[in-house]
Amino acid sequence: MFGSGLLKGLAITWKEMLTPKVTIQYPDEIYSLPDRFHGRFKLDKDACISCGMCVRACPNNVIKMETETVARKKRLLKYVMDIKYCLFCGFCVESCPKNALGYEKDFELAQYKLDKVPLVLVDEEPLPPEEKERLEAEAAQKIAAAKAKKEASGGKDKGGE
Amino acid sequence: MLRTEEFTLNMGPQHPATHGVLRLILHLDGETIVKVEPVVGYLHRGIEKLAEARTYTQVIPYTDRLDYLAAMLNNLGYVQAVEKLMGIEIPERAEYIRIIVSEMSRIASHCIAVGTYALDLGGFTGFMYPFREREKLMDMFEMISGSRMTHSYMRIGGVAADLPEEFYPAIKKFLKEFPSCVDEYDGLITGNEIFQARTKGVGVLSQEKAVQYSISGPTLRGSGVNYDLRKARPYGIYDRFDFEVPVGEKGDCFDRYYCRIQEMRQSHRIIEQALEQLEELPGGPVMAKVPKVLKPPKGEVYHEIEGAKGILGYYVVSDGTTKPYRVHIRRPSFINLDLLDEMCRGWKIADVVAILGSIDIVLGEVDC
Repeated sequence: MFGSGLLKGLAITWKEMLTPKVTIQYPDEIYSLPDRFHGRFKLDKDACISCGMCVRACPNNVIKMETETVARKKRLLKYVMDIKYCLFCGFCVESCPKNALGYEKDFELAQYKLDKVPLVLVDEEPLPPEEKERLEAEAAQKIAAAKAKKEASGGKDKGGE
Repeated sequence: MLRTEEFTLNMGPQHPATHGVLRLILHLDGETIVKVEPVVGYLHRGIEKLAEARTYTQVIPYTDRLDYLAAMLNNLGYVQAVEKLMGIEIPERAEYIRIIVSEMSRIASHCIAVGTYALDLGGFTGFMYPFREREKLMDMFEMISGSRMTHSYMRIGGVAADLPEEFYPAIKKFLKEFPSCVDEYDGLITGNEIFQARTKGVGVLSQEKAVQYSISGPTLRGSGVNYDLRKARPYGIYDRFDFEVPVGEKGDCFDRYYCRIQEMRQSHRIIEQALEQLEELPGGPVMAKVPKVLKPPKGEVYHEIEGAKGILGYYVVSDGTTKPYRVHIRRPSFINLDLLDEMCRGWKIADVVAILGSIDIVLGEVDC
């Protein structure tokens, strides 16, 4: 019979009336996100060793990193992600050897002003020269002390033989 | 004296029925199509060229952006091509995960094809139902990879991470519900008399023409050619699963559409089997032991897979450095679109939408 297909379709849509509502009232109600969600990035500053693996893993050169070396140790000065070029592929997070880089469950990254777009995760002043010198001297002293100790103990060992 | 002449009409690039930014120049004789010229390139991003400036791994997120409705399948084609070039064997567990996620991707893509096809022909309700299932699939993709559409989940040598615990109950619930959902599409769209009147016998593509123009995917199988790479030349572990290749008879719009509906049921079967076999496997790594910096040997490789739209091929040339010398992608949508002119000639202007929708193109892939 012509029209039976239409009636069958209508019956299916009527069935939908009885099913529960699934709409989430978005700004008031937050949609639950899975653990692996690729959202805003977060960086654990203390865990980061400034190795630059994330910078090299990025397909789009999104990550800009500046470091200074104080007493043979790298110190993170700037870690800025130009999020407008980010593909959210997650290669940077995957490449991090110390799991310092991660995601937050935040997807509201839109900004009104262009200069607000880059995601500034670390922005620190370089150490003043005096402080730098002091730290370097301290480290040099430590190294010298360790060397002396080693030499002294090494000498003893030889003498013992 | 009454004089008639041909009329030229631009359809697109902002026309909603062209599924993106495709422009069609229609040459009309009254309402009858004389010629259709598709103008492509509005979404061209130069992905093939961009790939040359990136390392082998860094190309993966760009493949997502080809056919963004079935990103996992694009990932799969690329990583398998590079693995073939480097001769990498990937762990069993990763193979199964790849099969599961790519078939999920195929279902998601066909959900769009079926849904938007109903929408193109004026059936809004038919559009919402497949989208409901696609939403469930995207939620699962988000669990697996963290992204809904551009997953970048596969890696050269395996996959990024094992399936999360919460995925298993979700996919089992989905697999249980899905057959009845496809029945609903059948009831809403396939059985609809108006839909049938608009699609049956329209835009007939003969078997010979389809083969001549190297049409692939459901568009080819709708014409009655039984050619599916998963059966004809199984890649990965597709030879371990029991499934059928649905083919049409007449090669009209309805057959192409119905092939997709049936393919969804077959993909459902594959996922069921793969999940069963995966659960029997002991836990283990999902990545083969590959060096951090990939340097494939000098040479070239061509690898094809059965994508959601047709045969998706990746041609990768290596010069022995960390970056590919050349990447070329055989995009099924682009090649299938070639035949639009042939199929539309002689039909009315409203049928252009029906015929274009039945080829199921995605402009990210056409323009690359």
